[in-house]
Amino acid sequence: MKLHLPPRVSPKQFDAMLQAAAGVVGKDWVMATDADRDAYSDIYAPGNPEEWPASAAIAPGSVEEVRAIVRLANQYKTPLWPVARGKNLGYGTAAPRLPGSIVLDLGRMNRILELDPKLAYCVVEPGVGFFDLYDAIQREKLPLWLSVPGNAWGSVLGNALEHGIGYTPYGLHARNLCGIEAVLPDGDLMRTGMGAMKDNPAWHLFPMSYGPTFDLAFSQSNLGVVTKAGVWLQPAPESSLELVWDIPNEDDIGWVVDTIAPLKISGLVDQNVFIPSWLGKMVLKGQRKDFWDKPSAIPEWRVQELLKEHKLGYWQVALRLYGEEGVVKAKAEVVKAAMKRNIDVAPAEHWWHTGDYIHGVETTMGIPSAVPLQMSDWVGGRGAHMGFSPVVPATGRHVLDQKQRSRRIIAEFDVDFYASFTIGGRFANNVNMLMYDRDNAEEVARMRRLFDALIKETAKAGYAEYRTHLGWMDPVMDTFDFNDNALRRFGEKVKNALDPNGIIAPGKQGIWPAAYADARAKANAGGKA
Amino acid sequence: MKRVSLILAASVAVTATAVLAAPPGPMGPPPGPPPPYQLRPVEPAGDRTKPGGDGRTLFEVHCGYCHLNGGMGTNLLTKQRLMVGETPDKGLLANRTDLTADYVKAVVRMGKGAMPAQTRVDLTDAELDAVSKYLGKAG
Repeated sequence: MKLHLPPRVSPKQFDAMLQAAAGVVGKDWVMATDADRDAYSDIYAPGNPEEWPASAAIAPGSVEEVRAIVRLANQYKTPLWPVARGKNLGYGTAAPRLPGSIVLDLGRMNRILELDPKLAYCVVEPGVGFFDLYDAIQREKLPLWLSVPGNAWGSVLGNALEHGIGYTPYGLHARNLCGIEAVLPDGDLMRTGMGAMKDNPAWHLFPMSYGPTFDLAFSQSNLGVVTKAGVWLQPAPESSLELVWDIPNEDDIGWVVDTIAPLKISGLVDQNVFIPSWLGKMVLKGQRKDFWDKPSAIPEWRVQELLKEHKLGYWQVALRLYGEEGVVKAKAEVVKAAMKRNIDVAPAEHWWHTGDYIHGVETTMGIPSAVPLQMSDWVGGRGAHMGFSPVVPATGRHVLDQKQRSRRIIAEFDVDFYASFTIGGRFANNVNMLMYDRDNAEEVARMRRLFDALIKETAKAGYAEYRTHLGWMDPVMDTFDFNDNALRRFGEKVKNALDPNGIIAPGKQGIWPAAYADARAKANAGGKA
Repeated sequence: MKRVSLILAASVAVTATAVLAAPPGPMGPPPGPPPPYQLRPVEPAGDRTKPGGDGRTLFEVHCGYCHLNGGMGTNLLTKQRLMVGETPDKGLLANRTDLTADYVKAVVRMGKGAMPAQTRVDLTDAELDAVSKYLGKAG
């Protein structure tokens, strides 16, 4: 990719920044060739990756190097886009929101600083991936489990800070963060919670600060660069039972949510319960053309045939219980009785006890894997996906309302419907997976119009997304419209106070510093293909 | 010593499962449960930009997310190799004899199909040299 300079930065000034940065991190860790820029682009870009181009990447190896680079960025006015491991696939990968930003790649900072089996937490740097943490726990044979996202290639901290979700009792990853260290936009260094006191041993145990609590102000945020954080882990359970029901009909999702959400809210079910529609199972069985060889959406009659042929329900509930065997057994009886009121089929039951075999793609048991990304092969070519991800109250009424709306809009654009609802408590995360071939320009353009329509129509109904791709960060922020977008106005006041040069991640989640406010909602934002 | 034994254990696991794996159906992954998680070796300490690293260890550490037994890359490549009439064990890059070092370098830096281009933090040039020598059994 050719060089896109940051706004108002001359080639000379840019080179001076890179040279100064090389003095801090070493020349090998300043990466600014065309190939480097390609490697930091959005590999699932819906359209031309040059809409979100990085100018270079700098990879510091320590907190002090991060601080030095942030100070240099202020001096040379070169905005930085911090990434942990840069694997935010479907949401922009490592690419920056503002063209010409320099990616601050924290992948080299990959130390596991603490791993405590007794209080079940770890302290990690941003470059620690789920695989790294899992390997370390296995090597030491510690009784700890992870909660992993569908794509576990990325960073533990990066995923939590981006509000990623997993499918275990610890599945709301941002909630597992406890005690953060962050480099502020002026290069200052801060620790939150009890860590604000030097050497306080409760830093990663007590989740609040004395006074305002800022931990999550650094999530989906451009207020600083998180350089380490505590993450709570699940104590390994003695046993676990998976109960699997195939749920036959599309509208059954209403009673399913009304049945499971109260159990989740009461604490009887502690897992984040993931309920994918049939296509979620199908994408791992082959390629789309093996099942439907036309570009148009798979018609309903063919869907019904496929469900029969492959013995699938429209949805699948795979609910997992964790704990001592007697407790799990008792819980299972309650869950089965609740489900039986609507479905008179006994679930498949899969018991696991300590020491039993666990296969390598068992997301609900915290095994990291990238295999779910295999769905990119479904469409063929350079397959890619984006998720349209609104949050709805965990009741059948809201879930059905949301499902019917996105189903209708997606059908209007002649695209296959692949949705999931994850019951996280009082809410459900709905992900509508949109899969496309990056090299099919017409298909990409259609996906972008579809994404626009989904945001607009869903907001009209009163729901919003919890996370989105770079290209829609402004349109989604626009939907948070209470009191003349008070949330954004507050975010930008804080941003301008802490970061007068607007140097950290301008435009992240639609928060624009004054220095780059003219780039807000520019042509590269939203679905203007 | 610890690392050596881990690597040996990993290699035994690869060979054993690759041999045991049933041939996949015409369009799907192998039947039965996926293989177990394969532990990667410990990342070598020291300067990652210095040449002379062990290609196999570096491959397993940095490419192992997808290219060990049961990984995403292995699954997709197994399908592809079967389609050209090869045996399923050739889904593992470590078992391939037709790769050249230059080809490995090109795919790592430019990406291919579902595989994204790898940054120089993912794999440094020195590490890529070692990995491409290890995988590039065809020269």
